[in-house]
Amino acid sequence: MLLQQVINAISLGGIYALLALGLAIVFSITGLINFAHGELMTLSGYALLAALMMGMPLLPAAVTAVAAGALAAVAMERVAFRPMRGASVTSLLLTSFAVSNLLKVVFQNAISARGKPIAMPDWMAGVVPIGSFTIGVGPLMSIAVSALALLGLELFLRRTVMGAAMRAAAQDFNTLRLVGISANRVIAVAFLLSGVLAGIASLLWIAQRASVDPMMGFVPVLKAFIATVIGGLGSLSGAVAGGMLLGVMEVALQALLPPSLAPYRDALVLSGIIVVLLVRPNGLIPAVDTARS
Amino acid sequence: MLLSHPTIGRLVLSAAVTCGLAVPSYAEDILIGVATAQTGGLAPYDQPSLAGFRMAIDELNAKGGLGGKYTAKLAIKDTRTDTAATITAVQELVDAGASIILTPCDADATIAAGQITVAKRIPTLTFCGTAPVLATAVGDNLFGTYPGDNLQATVIADHAYAKGFRKAYLLVSPDSSYTAQLPEYFAEVFKKKGGTILGTGSFTMGQPDFSAIVTAIKALPEQPDLIMTAAYEPDFPAFIQQLRAAGVTTTVYGADAIGTGTVQGLGKLVDGTVYSAAGYPTPGGALEAFNKRFETTTGHAAESAYEANGYEIGLILDAAVKAAGSTDPVKLRDAIAGLDKLPIVTGTITYAGTNGMPVRAVSLIEYKDGKPVFIATQTPAAADVPAPAH
Repeated sequence: MLLQQVINAISLGGIYALLALGLAIVFSITGLINFAHGELMTLSGYALLAALMMGMPLLPAAVTAVAAGALAAVAMERVAFRPMRGASVTSLLLTSFAVSNLLKVVFQNAISARGKPIAMPDWMAGVVPIGSFTIGVGPLMSIAVSALALLGLELFLRRTVMGAAMRAAAQDFNTLRLVGISANRVIAVAFLLSGVLAGIASLLWIAQRASVDPMMGFVPVLKAFIATVIGGLGSLSGAVAGGMLLGVMEVALQALLPPSLAPYRDALVLSGIIVVLLVRPNGLIPAVDTARS
Repeated sequence: MLLSHPTIGRLVLSAAVTCGLAVPSYAEDILIGVATAQTGGLAPYDQPSLAGFRMAIDELNAKGGLGGKYTAKLAIKDTRTDTAATITAVQELVDAGASIILTPCDADATIAAGQITVAKRIPTLTFCGTAPVLATAVGDNLFGTYPGDNLQATVIADHAYAKGFRKAYLLVSPDSSYTAQLPEYFAEVFKKKGGTILGTGSFTMGQPDFSAIVTAIKALPEQPDLIMTAAYEPDFPAFIQQLRAAGVTTTVYGADAIGTGTVQGLGKLVDGTVYSAAGYPTPGGALEAFNKRFETTTGHAAESAYEANGYEIGLILDAAVKAAGSTDPVKLRDAIAGLDKLPIVTGTITYAGTNGMPVRAVSLIEYKDGKPVFIATQTPAAADVPAPAH
């Protein structure tokens, strides 16, 4: 049972880490907390649904969904956030809320207020026996996909020119522009990456909940925000650490609390976060430039 | 999309009310304030209810209005599944002179709305809120329309016990009275019959991850015969997906909120899941005939029993106006409270002698091969139904 709960915790933490990274990448460069990140997930979910309904096999449908999330993120930047470039953090935040609410209403009225079921293939509901334990294929796949996505992002940031430019942008955007890197491109790529991460997280999220609905993005973006704050706003490794910690705390409390205390789980998790922030006010792994947060 | 004339009319009407202008109420009109969640988490329930209600009002108006006399005017406001927005909307509708208020499919929003309507004792009906404490929580102007939680739970527990299930596990959420209380009512009836409850798991509504609960169920020293929950979307699909993914094949029972296209669409995952509803469209039955008429009128198929329930609210109001012979809210309230065995689509409905939650039949339905299969329609003996919990 302990082993199973550990796998549960890593699996959930991995999804939170992907979500938090999506927020952190955009924040580290533009100072924007994109609360419409959740709607990118919803959009990817609907793209997955549409692709499956058109008869696509699961894998191409999943690629379509991630691509839809990425394109939508770039479009969102171009339409909503580029005109707001240089605006105050508050204006950006409010813009992201506006985009988020607008998309939710569009999904509700153009698609359906009701959730749409997405049937997962049978093999995903299978179990792998390990000794006397059985571990679900779903959580294992979720861990594998999260790990691959994190590794892929790390390689991109470390090994490519654009990756280096993005890391530089997170530290000092103005200097980066002085050396001739296009701001529009760096920011567009940041949104593209956040869209890809939202798309992947959306697939894992849907694999767990078997349906997609217009409000789907609200909880994940909230969790991602909490994770980025614990990890240190604007710090990418912090976002991963924060996501993992949040996942572990949630699963541990769900597993350990007696039924009479179970309703206080979220309150306890948030109290734990306050404690973390009291000890480390800038988060677990603070960003290099903490002035923004 | 081009807006049709009725749509523009509705928009103008709601815009007029939003701007705080009273909708002119002529002598032979009755203003019905509809403050329900057409967007947000309750929209899957409030949208079909409103569609059914509108159909009833259109038909009744074509026949001369409510009670054959008063043309019904609807002032419709979207509460966005937000309690504060519900309160604002209801206040504006009351100020505009509404004789009747309709509220969302949720006890909490309805109770909040009731705080405003109770002073003038304006009859306040919830679309499909099922908490049996509505009237006792606020005042006698509040009415449920759908079978109450305790009534549904009794029928479900009777069925589970009759099927030979003796050990149950409860999955509850303290976040709403529906998800918290309905499984408890079930437990009360189930234990009285001789069943045992092996344990209770608690979740937060909207929680993505049920793996820890699933692991706890797997680790129970004794495996339950069934899991009873009142979770609905998106929690119910998430729970059952993760339960099955972990290799647990225990039957899961739910209540009326899982009688939706989304849950049906889960296919194999919900095979054997039993749930309750206000009715089932048996071939040749009145509900099937209603659903066909609904599809012809609105252009889309009824997805649940909520459309019929919304339509039935129109019939209840028509009967009440006829009995009261007036649009005075207090007289209307008394008329609703006195309705006895009023014929509606799914059978009859009685308010006389109740505390605002109607007596009506409950249907049991089972998902088999991705399709809802009718089991039975029952009206439990009053003595078997647990008293409303406070």
